[in-house]
Amino acid sequence: MSTGQKFMLPTERLDIRRTAVAIRNVIGRDPHGWLGPGLTETWETPDLLVEEGYDYVCDWVLDDEPVLLKTRTRPIVNLPYTQECNDVAMMLIQHHKASEHYDRAIDQFEQVHANSVGSARIMALVVHPYIMGAPHRLKYLRNALAHIREHPDVLFWTGEEILEWYLGTTGAGS
Amino acid sequence: MIPRKRSTFSAIVDRPPLNLPGGARIVVWTIVNLEFWSISRPMARQVLPAPTGQVLLPDLPNWAWHEYGMRVGVWRFFDLFRRLGIRPTLSINARVCEEYERVAHAAREAGWEFMGHAWEQMPIHQVDDQAAMIAKSLDVLGRFAGVRPKGWLGPGLTETYETPELLAGAGIKYIGDWVYDDEPTEIRTRQGPLVTLPYSVELNDIPMMLVQHHESGYFTQRCIDSFERLYQEGAERAKIMAIAIHPYISGQPHRIKYLEAVYDHIDRYAGVLHWNGVEILDWYLAARTAQ
Repeated sequence: MSTGQKFMLPTERLDIRRTAVAIRNVIGRDPHGWLGPGLTETWETPDLLVEEGYDYVCDWVLDDEPVLLKTRTRPIVNLPYTQECNDVAMMLIQHHKASEHYDRAIDQFEQVHANSVGSARIMALVVHPYIMGAPHRLKYLRNALAHIREHPDVLFWTGEEILEWYLGTTGAGS
Repeated sequence: MIPRKRSTFSAIVDRPPLNLPGGARIVVWTIVNLEFWSISRPMARQVLPAPTGQVLLPDLPNWAWHEYGMRVGVWRFFDLFRRLGIRPTLSINARVCEEYERVAHAAREAGWEFMGHAWEQMPIHQVDDQAAMIAKSLDVLGRFAGVRPKGWLGPGLTETYETPELLAGAGIKYIGDWVYDDEPTEIRTRQGPLVTLPYSVELNDIPMMLVQHHESGYFTQRCIDSFERLYQEGAERAKIMAIAIHPYISGQPHRIKYLEAVYDHIDRYAGVLHWNGVEILDWYLAARTAQ
């Protein structure tokens, strides 16, 4: 029975690998980054990600800056994702009214922006189409982004761009 | 011993008023909680459960969410209280002195009071040997801080029926678990009396933000509402107002300004004392004797 189950359930490594394949089939190259489903990890996840060719992970929401995580081979970079400015946590678990996503995003931005004097900071804003894409919520996301875009010293970067900058700045990747 | 045996019912209106020095009306007691969350057990709190709501170990994302408080959030607290000249009470899992020595060291250097808060963050009912855990915690904290803690707050305020005996026997003088009054009280234990200080589960970011899920700004509103009422009542008798905060909650970028706003508001009033637990204890013992 146990052998049969092993063949029925994909191993974590296989799941990570076939995710890269599926993305490669669409965008024509491998993904650099990974976010666990619900940010979940096993003890082995960072090791497997590095071995399967990933360069960054986002599950470790423990800083306002990227950090290097050790693995059993080369290190992997963690980028500061967020469960706080995240529509799943805010709308579906904490049950805030839609406008709180805007208010919190602005509060978060202003504090992180103030802290960035002298040392760069990253602010993540996390949305899902079935939540913030709902008609009654969308304007709060649009307004938050509009507010943030009024600041000339803010960059809107993808994970890959943050990674490239971080490795270039720290020399961690060399 | 059940609570009623420790504490005879007492209505606040039947007690002679306690008075603060210099005509002060109110004591603000700030408590910063520092915890250790073991990755080997379910996390003390979750901001985001796993998809389908299953309890899975290890719970990396919620561990990391708490870790943010120690790496980033608590440093916003240190900045705030340095600027205000306030030295809070530190409710600290003793294991923090070993696992986050950098943070505990900063609190000691800032002159914060160390209050015992168990060895690590788990319900005290699940601790195999409570007496040994209490002794070990107080030993580690005493060695680290240079002075043995006089105060104790249970993890999540939890107690079993024998906890007050064990605490009094270990030399503890006050506890914060009995959130049943605006004034300190004395409770009975077989090892001698313990003073209860009015900690708060109302002005506390865990229930407010993680259980009741209020918007960030409501923290300011509730604290100001409480302060203004207690300040008004403080004209008749001394009042104590506790504010309980955690770096992984109120230290988040989007929440810190609402904590700062509370102290900015209180700062506009005369007759407000910012005391730690030991200062409240010493005042209470003297003020009560003077009656």
